[in-house]
Amino acid sequence: MKKNPFLLICITAYLFISALSSCSPIKFIKPLEKNQNAAGVSLGGALIKYGTATIPIPFLTADYGYGIDSTLTGFGSFNITSALFGNFQLELGAAKQLLKQNNYFPAVSITPSVNIIYRNTDAYKFYPQLAFNAFWEYGKHKNFVYISADNWFELAQKRAHELKQPNHWIFMPTIGHSFTGKKWNFNIEAKIIAPNLSNQNLVVEYQTPLKKRGALGIFLGYTRKF
Amino acid sequence: MKRINLSILQTISVKSMLGGFCIILLLGLSGCLRLDDNLFNPNVTKITEYKLDNYTGDLDFRLDASYQIPDSLIHVFQLPSQAPDETSATLIYGLYIGNIDSIASDTVIMYCHGNRDHMDFYWQRAKLLANTKSKNRFGVMMIDYRGYGLSEGKPTENGLYADADAALKWLKNKGLTNDRLVMYGFSLGTAPAVKLSAEDFSMKPSKLMLEAPFASAEVMIQDASGLAMPAAFFTDLKINNAEEIKKVQQPFFWIHGEADDFLNINTHGAVVYNNYNGTYKEAHRIPNAGHGNIPNTFGFQNYLNAVGNFITMH
Repeated sequence: MKKNPFLLICITAYLFISALSSCSPIKFIKPLEKNQNAAGVSLGGALIKYGTATIPIPFLTADYGYGIDSTLTGFGSFNITSALFGNFQLELGAAKQLLKQNNYFPAVSITPSVNIIYRNTDAYKFYPQLAFNAFWEYGKHKNFVYISADNWFELAQKRAHELKQPNHWIFMPTIGHSFTGKKWNFNIEAKIIAPNLSNQNLVVEYQTPLKKRGALGIFLGYTRKF
Repeated sequence: MKRINLSILQTISVKSMLGGFCIILLLGLSGCLRLDDNLFNPNVTKITEYKLDNYTGDLDFRLDASYQIPDSLIHVFQLPSQAPDETSATLIYGLYIGNIDSIASDTVIMYCHGNRDHMDFYWQRAKLLANTKSKNRFGVMMIDYRGYGLSEGKPTENGLYADADAALKWLKNKGLTNDRLVMYGFSLGTAPAVKLSAEDFSMKPSKLMLEAPFASAEVMIQDASGLAMPAAFFTDLKINNAEEIKKVQQPFFWIHGEADDFLNINTHGAVVYNNYNGTYKEAHRIPNAGHGNIPNTFGFQNYLNAVGNFITMH
């Protein structure tokens, strides 16, 4: 039963990853400048064991952000992988900077968002998310390193067949780095997806430092600013 | 200022075109990935003929010589299968263990195999069932669903039901009656087993036995995602044993490994068992057994005793 074709493994992993990671793998951590636009793509996914190799699950989103003011950026992310399944999945949110960096004390921002998945009138979901972020700028290019605590909330009390929904909170600690150019950003990010949940009894064998919990995700993002 | 605006317009125009192209591409690709086809897992080890005892591919277990069936009681043949919405029949392969001439008076276990491979992989299980109570006391019927083994066609949900029903038609033509038909399903095979026990098909089994059943496609999705997501996000399959079992009135036997790491005993098997509202039910939770090793973990004789007692006593 476990010798499933690669596509099944990818799809099953996608279930876990797309459900438990946000629509946009890489969020807006640091707000854009006022009236600045940014568009980009994010690619990456959780690491799984496939045969003797460890490979990432391909996972793709298209992102757009707009600097409402210098401390507030609105953004939307369209999940291309989900679209390939015939679903419309969109994340809408905002990144708000709360504190400026003060020497070694990082700048702090929060990123509330909603993740909407729609297939038809019988199949749709709405997930609120909230990320707490801290980032440190350095150097003349203002590259920055960041950490983030991303939280995904399942509001449903019941799952199929009237069973109690066991998980309502999915936590994703994240560390990342953004290389910043005048017109572009390149991000690399690692996150532990759902370290509070068991990764056992799934078709996929996840590679994670926590062994039996969560999944380690590696994501890359490229953003063009204009 | 006008130049700047023109430049912005040109930029927006190019971006719009690119965006439009991407949207069209996405709409074109939209829905091209579904779990449906990939849930079926036939012919992991391809075969060109049925070898049964001489099969050398992976197996969950292999029986010793004491379970051997005489060659004269092993029959491999083709039979036509046609779903109600199909215009032509698909030729599938079936296997009968027992004396075909005495089907009119024998009790027969219709064994609906699981998702992997083909009848060679499940031969050991069918042979084990043919040893229930005593050697060849019960006939055992097994088929390869379309797309499995040497059966023609491609696996589909409706095909599962049509193929299992084709086997029932074959048995009925040989003289089997409803009161001597026992339906047994393992894993994916629990879907046709429950469906054909619950609804009107060629025959109405007198008993239903399920080994490691799954509850529904919804539970598979929700177990995999950890969230209460609709199955429709990923699959169009309507398989739903948890609901179908509510229509079953025949005596019901459930066996499931407590260590099943593919179809969880609590989210799948127990849901099916609890939803049964018929005349009689019994549960066998097997400690330390996984998805594919219940008979050998339970012990072959313990397993056969449980199966045999259910068939003869209820």
